[in-house]
Amino acid sequence: MILEFAAPRLLGPALMVAGAIIVKGYTDVGDGFSAGVIVALAVALRYVALGPDEAERTLPVLRHAGTLAICGLLVSLSVAFVPVAFGDPIFTHYPAPGASVVKIGTLELITAVLFDLGLFVLVAGSLIVLIHHLSHLVRDE
Amino acid sequence: MRVNGRTLAFAAVATAVAAFAASLAGQLAGGGTLDVEWAPTLGLRLDLAFDGLGAMYALIATGIGALVFAYGAAYLPRHLEHAKRPGGDARRFWPWMVLFMGSMVGLACARDLVLMFVFFDLTAVASYFLIGFDHDRREARGAALMALLVTGVTAVALLIGAVLLYAEYGTFSLPELFERAEPGTTTAIAAALIAFAAVTKSAQVPLHFWLPRAMEAPTPVSAYLHSAAMVAAGVLVLGRVHPLLALDDTVLDALVVVGLCSIVIGGALALAQDNLKQILAHSTISQYGYVVVLYGIGGEKGAAAAALYVIAHAIAKSALFMTAGAVTEATGETRLSHLGGLARELPVLAAASAVAAATLAALPLTIGFFKDELFFAAAAGHGAFTQAMAVVAAALTFAYIGRFWLGVFTGPRRTEAHAIPVLLVAPIALLAVLAVAGGIVVEPFAHLATDAATVTAGAAVEAHPAYHLDTRAENLMALGAWGLGALLLVWPRVWAGVVAAIARAGDVAGPRRLYGLSLRALYRLSDRLHGAEVGDLRNSLAAVLLPAGALIGIAFVATLPGGAYEFGAVDPEDLPVIVLLALSVAAGVRVLRDEGRLRPVLALSVLGFALAGVYAIVGAPDVALVAVVVETVVTLVFVGVYSRLPTTRRSQRRRRPRNVAAGVIAGVGAFIGIWAALSRQPVSEGDAAAHVELAPEAHGGDVVTVILADFRGFDTMVEITVLVVALAGVAHLLRGGRGW
Repeated sequence: MILEFAAPRLLGPALMVAGAIIVKGYTDVGDGFSAGVIVALAVALRYVALGPDEAERTLPVLRHAGTLAICGLLVSLSVAFVPVAFGDPIFTHYPAPGASVVKIGTLELITAVLFDLGLFVLVAGSLIVLIHHLSHLVRDE
Repeated sequence: MRVNGRTLAFAAVATAVAAFAASLAGQLAGGGTLDVEWAPTLGLRLDLAFDGLGAMYALIATGIGALVFAYGAAYLPRHLEHAKRPGGDARRFWPWMVLFMGSMVGLACARDLVLMFVFFDLTAVASYFLIGFDHDRREARGAALMALLVTGVTAVALLIGAVLLYAEYGTFSLPELFERAEPGTTTAIAAALIAFAAVTKSAQVPLHFWLPRAMEAPTPVSAYLHSAAMVAAGVLVLGRVHPLLALDDTVLDALVVVGLCSIVIGGALALAQDNLKQILAHSTISQYGYVVVLYGIGGEKGAAAAALYVIAHAIAKSALFMTAGAVTEATGETRLSHLGGLARELPVLAAASAVAAATLAALPLTIGFFKDELFFAAAAGHGAFTQAMAVVAAALTFAYIGRFWLGVFTGPRRTEAHAIPVLLVAPIALLAVLAVAGGIVVEPFAHLATDAATVTAGAAVEAHPAYHLDTRAENLMALGAWGLGALLLVWPRVWAGVVAAIARAGDVAGPRRLYGLSLRALYRLSDRLHGAEVGDLRNSLAAVLLPAGALIGIAFVATLPGGAYEFGAVDPEDLPVIVLLALSVAAGVRVLRDEGRLRPVLALSVLGFALAGVYAIVGAPDVALVAVVVETVVTLVFVGVYSRLPTTRRSQRRRRPRNVAAGVIAGVGAFIGIWAALSRQPVSEGDAAAHVELAPEAHGGDVVTVILADFRGFDTMVEITVLVVALAGVAHLLRGGRGW
C-alpha cells in the first residue's frame, strides 16, 4: 500500500539526486556510476510496486533503455578516441590541465564530465534493460 | 534488413579492385608512411609504411583478392546451392573475406611489432570463420579450429619475442630496433620466436599439418588464403623483420633446415595425393619452403629471390586452386583418379591452368622461370648441399604439378563435364596472361621484388633476372630439375614406396597426432577442473578464499620481522568505527546461525551497510556511496532470487573440518589485511598521493571521479565496454536475444 503510493512518486526525487550527483560529480563525492544505479533503483521500485506491464505502460520511455545504453557507450568512447583525430593520445581531456574552465555552478564544462555523463547513461540504461528482462522472465514462467 | 548475396559479392569485388588501384597508385607515387602514437606510455604506435615490401604484399593481397573475389561471386551461389543453404548465407562469407584482405594490407604495412601481432591475429580470426564456412560439417569445424589454434597459439611467440625485444631495447618499432639491436642471446631468442610464429603461419614443417586440413574451406578461400594471403603472412613477417633474424646465424640456418624439410615433405606428399586440393595444399607447404630457405640464405640475393618467388607463386597457385574448384564444379569430382581428358571440353581452362602449372614448374616464357633462376642462383651461392636440394625441390615441383595437370586434362575421359560460368574461368585466364607477360617482360615484377628486398636486406638490392643461353649454374640446375622431374613423372614406382613411408611415419608419430593428443588432454583437464569447481559450491568459494587467506598470511609472516606491518593503536576517536564493525560482526554471526532464507539475507545487508558506514567515517565517501547503492541492488537481487528458488529441506548441519579450516584461514587473513589497512597513515607517497595531488590540475575536486574519468580513463572505458557486451550476453541467455 505504502509502496504503491510511494514508488511512482519517488522517481522524480531519485532523478534529481542522480542529477545532483552527476553535476557535482567532478568536484564532490559521487560519479556517473552511482547516479546510474540510483536511477535504476528508482525504476526497479516501480517494477516491484506496479508490476512490469504497468510500470512500462506508465513510463513508455523505458523501452529506449537499450538504445540509451549504447548511446552512453558511444559518447564515452568518442570522448576517449576523438583526441586521436587531433593528434593527441587517447583520453586527452579538454581544456588542458591548468587552462581555464567554464563553470555553471559546480558543473565544469570539460570533456571528462562528458565521459562521466556517458557512463551514467550507460549504467542506468543497462540496468533498466536487465530489470526488464528479469521481470518479464519471472512473469512468463 | 536483408542484404542480397549478389550485392555483397559485388561490393567485395569493388572494394578489392579499389584497394588494388589505390595500392598501385601508392606504389607508383613512391609510397608513404603514417605514424600515430596511440598509447605513448606503452610505446605503442600505429606505424604503417607503404614501402617496397608493403607495396608488394598489398598489391598481391588486393590484386589476387580482386580476381578471387570475382571468381567467388560466381562460385559461392553454386556452393550454397549444392549444400542446400539459403543464398543469404553469403553474409557469413564476404565480410570475412574483406576483413581478411584489410588485415593483410595492414600487416604488409605494419612497422611496429605489436601492431603486426594484431594484424597477424586478425588474419587468423578471419580465417577461422572462412575455413569453417560450411559450419554444418564437422570436418570443416575441426579444420577451422585447428588452423586457429595452431597459428593463433604460435602467434603468441611473436608477441613474446616482441616483448623480449622491448625489454632489451625499449621499443616495439622495427626501424628503431634495427638501429639499436645487437647480436646477443636475447636478440637471438626473440628473433627465433618471431621466426617460429612466421613459419607456422606459412605452414612449414613440423607445424604444417593445419594447411591440408584447411582444404575443407570453400575453394575461393583456399585460392586466396592458402595461396597468396594467410600463408604469405608468415613469410611477409620474415621479410619484414629480416635484419633482426640476420643478427644470428643459427636462426638463419634453422630457417634453411625448416624450409628444406618442408620442401621435401610437402613435395613428396603432394606426389601421392589423390584429392585435387590436397595436392595443391601440400604443394603450398613445399613452395613456401623455398621462400623460407631463401630468407634463411639471406643477403641481397636471397631477399630478392624470396620476393620474386612470392609474387610468382601467388599468381600460379591461386590460378591452380581456382582450376581445381572449376573442375569440381564442372564434373562434381574431386579426385585425380576419377578425372581425365577434360582438355577437349574445357579448352580455355586447360590452357590457362597449363600456363599456371608451367609457372609453378618454372618453365621458360612464364614468370616462374625467373623465380627458379634467382632461387638456383641463391642456392648455388650457399653451398653444395643446398644446391643439390634446390634441384631436388624443383624436380619434385615439376613432377607433382605435371601429374596434377596431366591427370586432369589428358588421358582417357572418366567423368562427364558440364558447362561452367565464364566467371569461373576468366580470373584464371587473366592470371595466366599475367604469368606469360611476366615471362616475357619481367622488369616490372623484378622492380617490385627488388624494392621489397631493399626493405628486407636493409640496403639497395639489384636483381636482373633474364634469359641466358649459356651453361651457367642456374641453367644447368634447371635442366637437371626438369629431367629429374620428368623421370619421377614417368616412373611412379620409383617414389611410391618412399612417399608411402613418409606418409605412414607422419600418421604414426607426426605432429598432427601430437596435436590431437594434446587437444584431448586439454579437454580432459578442463573438464576435471570444471567438475571440481562447480561440483560443490564450497569448493568454488574455497578456491578463492583459501589462496587469498594463505597469501596474506605468508605476507604477514614475511613482513613481521622487518617491521613493515603496522599495529595501529585503538584510539577513543575510533569508537564509531568500532561500533559499526561490531554491528557487522554480529550480522555476520547471524548470517551463519539463522534458519530460513530472508533473515540471513537481511543480516547480510546489515553487514554491508555497516561496512559502508565504516568507509564513510574513515574518509572514503565515494566508496561509501557506491557501497550503499550496490548493497541495495545486491539485497534486492538476493530477495528476488530466493523468492523464486524451490523450497527444499535445509541440509543437515554437518560441520566438516575442511570447511571450518578454510573459513578460519580466510577469516584470519582478511582480519590481518583489514587491520593493516586501517592502521596505515594517510597516503603521502606513491601513485595514490600523486593522483590526489594532480586532481585539482585536472579540474577535479573529487579524486575518485577524476581517476575514473581521466587518470585511469582507459581502464574505465574497457570496463564499460565489457559491461555492454555482458549485457548483450545476459539478454540473449535470459530471453533468446529479444531486444526488449
